[in-house]
Amino acid sequence: MSGGAGYQLQQFIPFSHDVYLRLLERIGETYWPWHIATLLLGVLVLLLALRHQARAGSMLLAPLWLVVGVAFFLRHYAELNWAGNYIGYAFIAEAVLLLGIALSGKGLAETAADKRPAVIIGLILALTGLVGWPFIGLLSGDSWYQAAVFGIYADPTAIATLGLLLILLRGWLLWLSAIIPLLWLVVSGLTWWVLLNS
Amino acid sequence: MMRTRLSRRQSLKLLGAAVAAGLLPSLPFIGAPVLANPSESGNNPMLKKNLGNADTTLPVIGMGTWRTFNVGSDPVLLDARTQVVKAFFEHGGGLVDSSPMYGSAPDVMGYALQKLGIPDSLFSAEKVWSPAGGSAREQVAELKNRWQVGRFNLVQVHNLTDWREHLAALQQMKAEGKLGYIGITTSHGRRHRELEQIMTAQNIDFIQLTYNITHREAEQRLLPLAQEKGIAVIANRPFDGGSLIKGIQRRGERLPDWARAECGCTTWADFLLKFIVSHPAITCAIPATTQVAHMRENMGAGSGAMPSASGRQRMQRDVAAL
Repeated sequence: MSGGAGYQLQQFIPFSHDVYLRLLERIGETYWPWHIATLLLGVLVLLLALRHQARAGSMLLAPLWLVVGVAFFLRHYAELNWAGNYIGYAFIAEAVLLLGIALSGKGLAETAADKRPAVIIGLILALTGLVGWPFIGLLSGDSWYQAAVFGIYADPTAIATLGLLLILLRGWLLWLSAIIPLLWLVVSGLTWWVLLNS
Repeated sequence: MMRTRLSRRQSLKLLGAAVAAGLLPSLPFIGAPVLANPSESGNNPMLKKNLGNADTTLPVIGMGTWRTFNVGSDPVLLDARTQVVKAFFEHGGGLVDSSPMYGSAPDVMGYALQKLGIPDSLFSAEKVWSPAGGSAREQVAELKNRWQVGRFNLVQVHNLTDWREHLAALQQMKAEGKLGYIGITTSHGRRHRELEQIMTAQNIDFIQLTYNITHREAEQRLLPLAQEKGIAVIANRPFDGGSLIKGIQRRGERLPDWARAECGCTTWADFLLKFIVSHPAITCAIPATTQVAHMRENMGAGSGAMPSASGRQRMQRDVAAL
């Protein structure tokens, strides 16, 4: 981590690797056993999406973004990073957007072609966020309540949501609703890169 | 509470320290170095330097909190950092530097001070920073609540952010007696020219900048100017964000024998910190750590003999050759 770009990134990540891991652990402890409920909700959204019930899927996805915005960012992450409040509000805005889409019915993919590439990529991403992500932690020795689960933690929620959006939505609203999950994944990726290299 | 009277044993140590002070190599400090109260742990007393033109003195090893003290409300880590603060003051520490940019670090200091009591030697240093929101006055008031102190000894403008507005407000607050000293900070060698202009034109007590054995740009103009103007200097990133000392230790580099003999260096932390604080313009260095053992190691660098001018040059050559 040398040079201007590295420094600029470090400036916005005022916590260490160990402290961030402890934060994730504490979030897991705080909300257990809600992990099971949010994970089941995520699976339900995926099933609804695959059965072309996009309105119901989008409606169920919205509150999970609200939960992550408040529980993960505003209540915990913001303790370590002043930018956490803004990210939390962005997650809440995503929840409002998904709710608006569900209520208005615009942009919903009610008649999807099941073998579209977008649906296949979406399914892979959704399964990665819902199933693969928690297992990464479990395989590295975390206990069940420490597993980074969709609907509680930001990373698996963003990954799975991107996949679900690819199945649930069409047109410009798909791209609009993908902005915040994508931006968070960029921020999170850079955060991990800085933490692991400094 | 950490306010303690000197016991007979400590008084004898102080007397011994005064004798030892006469044996130390004479260095051209801004003010003659003096020895701090002996630490409770029985180590050699910490060297102190005058604050620019003021009579007040400051121990040469302070404590930074960037990253290391941002632990949120985690009870385990809060108690662990409290132990680090305890070790700092037990070894004669004074200046603790924080910022609203450092996440929960000011709250963690508040927690530690509540647990330990506010030691007499505390020299609380905070900063104002535009993205933190609110005016300089509002930020200082909020930070005092977070630290749970009545008054800051020093408030600095963080990284020259909106320095004209913030500095004017801080100067007014200082005139009103609401804070002790004012200053301005930078790091990573950035905006030195602008900092020089501020040092020349403004009435400030402190500057804080990056100065370590591998980053010595400040030696060219800023440190001589600070000496000339009687401005105290805090050296941040003494281990270059940790990478310098970790790199040396990872490679298993052997500490030069001459450094042991000349200035009693027993660790690389000693070597790197003594290099910094032996510069005549540097008032104190602010290493940051999460571990009590490292804190003790850092604090040890502030006592005993310091390298001579030729020793400092040799230190630079040794590190460049690693």
